[in-house]
Amino acid sequence: MTVQEALAEGLSVTGVGLAIVFSVLVILMLVMMAMKKIFYKDPAKANKEAPVATPAPADAPVVKAETKVDEGELIAVLTAAIAASLNTSTYNLQIKSYRRIENRKPAWNKAGVSETINSRY
Amino acid sequence: MLESFVGFLQTTGAAALFQDGWIPAVKIIIMIAIACVLLYLAIVKQFEPLLLLPIAFGMLLTNLPMLKDSSAIMMHTEFFTDPQYMIDGKYIDVGHICRHGGLLDLLYLGVKLGIYPPLIFIGIGCMTDFGPLIANPKSIILGAAAQFGVFFTFLGALVLGAVFPGISFGVNEAASIGIIGGADGPTAIYVTKTLAPHLLPAIAVAAYSYMALIPIIQPPFMKLMTTKKMRMVVMDQLRPVSKTEKILFPIIVTIIVGLIIPDAVSLVGCLMLGNLFKESGVCDRLCKTAQNELMNIVTIFLGVTVGATATAESFLSGETIGIVVLGLIAFCFSTVGGLALGDLMYVLTKGKVNPLIGSAGVSAVPMAARVSQTVGQKENPSNFLLMHAMGPNVAGVIGSAVAAGVFLSMFA
Repeated sequence: MTVQEALAEGLSVTGVGLAIVFSVLVILMLVMMAMKKIFYKDPAKANKEAPVATPAPADAPVVKAETKVDEGELIAVLTAAIAASLNTSTYNLQIKSYRRIENRKPAWNKAGVSETINSRY
Repeated sequence: MLESFVGFLQTTGAAALFQDGWIPAVKIIIMIAIACVLLYLAIVKQFEPLLLLPIAFGMLLTNLPMLKDSSAIMMHTEFFTDPQYMIDGKYIDVGHICRHGGLLDLLYLGVKLGIYPPLIFIGIGCMTDFGPLIANPKSIILGAAAQFGVFFTFLGALVLGAVFPGISFGVNEAASIGIIGGADGPTAIYVTKTLAPHLLPAIAVAAYSYMALIPIIQPPFMKLMTTKKMRMVVMDQLRPVSKTEKILFPIIVTIIVGLIIPDAVSLVGCLMLGNLFKESGVCDRLCKTAQNELMNIVTIFLGVTVGATATAESFLSGETIGIVVLGLIAFCFSTVGGLALGDLMYVLTKGKVNPLIGSAGVSAVPMAARVSQTVGQKENPSNFLLMHAMGPNVAGVIGSAVAAGVFLSMFA
């Protein structure tokens, strides 16, 4: 094979090959985007309450969980966690709303995580 | 008495060392030395020890000097490459191998018949979480861009073969070398055993050594191809992915890949089978076996037998040096390809994508993602890119398997 032939053959295979790889993965990307449309509901749109996290002691018994099942589970977990940390009963608590806050781990904690990751090379 | 002692001496390996004269003896000694160096790298430097150690030991076993036609020979590479031993000069003669082969010959059938790499992929599938990819579908494109190095190296190997007549790289050899850039050991072995079996040991050693060197190879390119501002980008948190999506994903991928490129199905299909074991949640026992016992057993067989194909004739050649150099080029260009597309995404999304996750498009899971995380954290200690980098990383596994399928469908 001469250099020209090698270049021609190589370039055509490279072109076709990259095109196939990209097209397969782009199709998969479109499928995943479609899955998101079908199966995923944005909690920000589903739940339009004011985003403030306040564990408020209340006289009323447990409020009914929100409409969605997994959210109810999350609220149950949050209630239990707050109850445990405040040393009170879940009956005295009412979660009005919750929101995810930025990662504010202590520096030592972060250093520990990165050290673990680095030691696994 | 003396006669039987002399008879014993003649059967020793030390006597067999010089049976063909000085030059083969020196070659054998060099091969044993290379095996010992690889053992050192595996044990002391911990370069992918789970694979490099069996490969190196297989190399040691196969290069021990043996008398010709001794029944102690564990591996007869000629059974798999020499037309004289093959049916019609093309197909391996399994009956002959079963009657005359040693332990490693029998185990090597699993490589030659393409059994081990897909079995390893089942285990990898069980350990892979496609969640980060499903949450951020665009990152799959980064996994495709990282295959740039595969094809570029294919081109490079072809041209090199044309320029230096001493190195006989045809399309088959070039494809096998290029696939090193996919940074995926089982895929590289799967392609090479079909297209260029005589290069198998060199390609396997190069692929696994460079995978171990990813934390050294990648960061300079990552710094070169990105600005400090780009590396500081904190990406939005990934959305939660439902179980339905995680279960549907492997099924859909298998169908789509099967429809487009059937040659990739044995790898991608097994990967997705393993993943479905995991995500379905109803096959816990199968999942545990596939990712532990099965995978470990197959890894032992694969490593030792691939190492055992490294005889002096096949390994001590200019081609091995070419493979080592081109393999490194393949890795570098795969990294650059992923980063270049990462930069493009950074621009298109107006700074929402951190281009560092692009380099994780080479499939070495999870090492490449950890490198992205580490480099990102150096610039912005509170940044946590690991999960974002896992998207392109697992996409790279699919991408390199598809690239392998492309080569197989064109040249096999």
